[in-house]
Amino acid sequence: MDAVTLLMIAVIVLSNAAGDVLITRGMKKMGEVSSFHPYHLFQLGRRVLHNRDFLMGVFCLAISFFAFISVLAWAEMSFVVPATSVVYVVTVLGAKFFLKEQIDKRRWAGTFLVCVGVVLICLP
Amino acid sequence: MKTAIVLTVAILAQSIGNVALSKGMKLVSGGSSDSADFSLIMLLEAMQSPFIWTGILLLILFFVMFTVSLTWADLSFVVPVISLSYIVNVALAHQFLGESVSETRWAGTLLICLGVILVTKSGNTPKHNNAYGLNQETRPYQT
Repeated sequence: MDAVTLLMIAVIVLSNAAGDVLITRGMKKMGEVSSFHPYHLFQLGRRVLHNRDFLMGVFCLAISFFAFISVLAWAEMSFVVPATSVVYVVTVLGAKFFLKEQIDKRRWAGTFLVCVGVVLICLP
Repeated sequence: MKTAIVLTVAILAQSIGNVALSKGMKLVSGGSSDSADFSLIMLLEAMQSPFIWTGILLLILFFVMFTVSLTWADLSFVVPVISLSYIVNVALAHQFLGESVSETRWAGTLLICLGVILVTKSGNTPKHNNAYGLNQETRPYQT
């Protein structure tokens, strides 16, 4: 596995994490969706387009998407998809060191399992 | 029931979408497995591939199902359920793209799923108890 692939996985992971956080923050302001009527979904779509968090989140996910299909041009999908799970490790570490959150034992155990899993998929 | 249907559709759309994108990009790149053979022009060529557009439409479907579910379900519930798509992704890559998935890679994928479930289902921290550390109290109302 070469440096370009590793770099691209990092880009996918970081922009994906940022996008998900922004979109979640945006959607929580919309209220619960209880009707799947096309008109109501259309109205929700219009409201969401005025939400800055949501729009920035979409931009981040777009970067993530183009980085992802670029890597798929040369790497195996059964490697690329699990490799992007590093996002969970990044988020836990970020929460620990930037947000000073208390990380309980189960969460550390989960983070460790994801790390071991990623190492396994990287082996030839 | 609403949640089960929405999340099942999300997982299938995401996995099949990734297979379509992978197929499309491999056709564009001529199947080379060297990153040096990739050029940005390939991204433009990809925009003319029906495989890529199928993949994009399926990922949009996934995205709609995911975001809509977040309006009533907690991220810390939705994310571990969606993590099952790692297994579906690898299985479909093996089945439809002919990728030879080693036992080590299968084991790694299973560990990742277990890890994601543990990370997102642990709720000992009262305020920041979901995957991305978002404060649940910022929700406009509780359900």
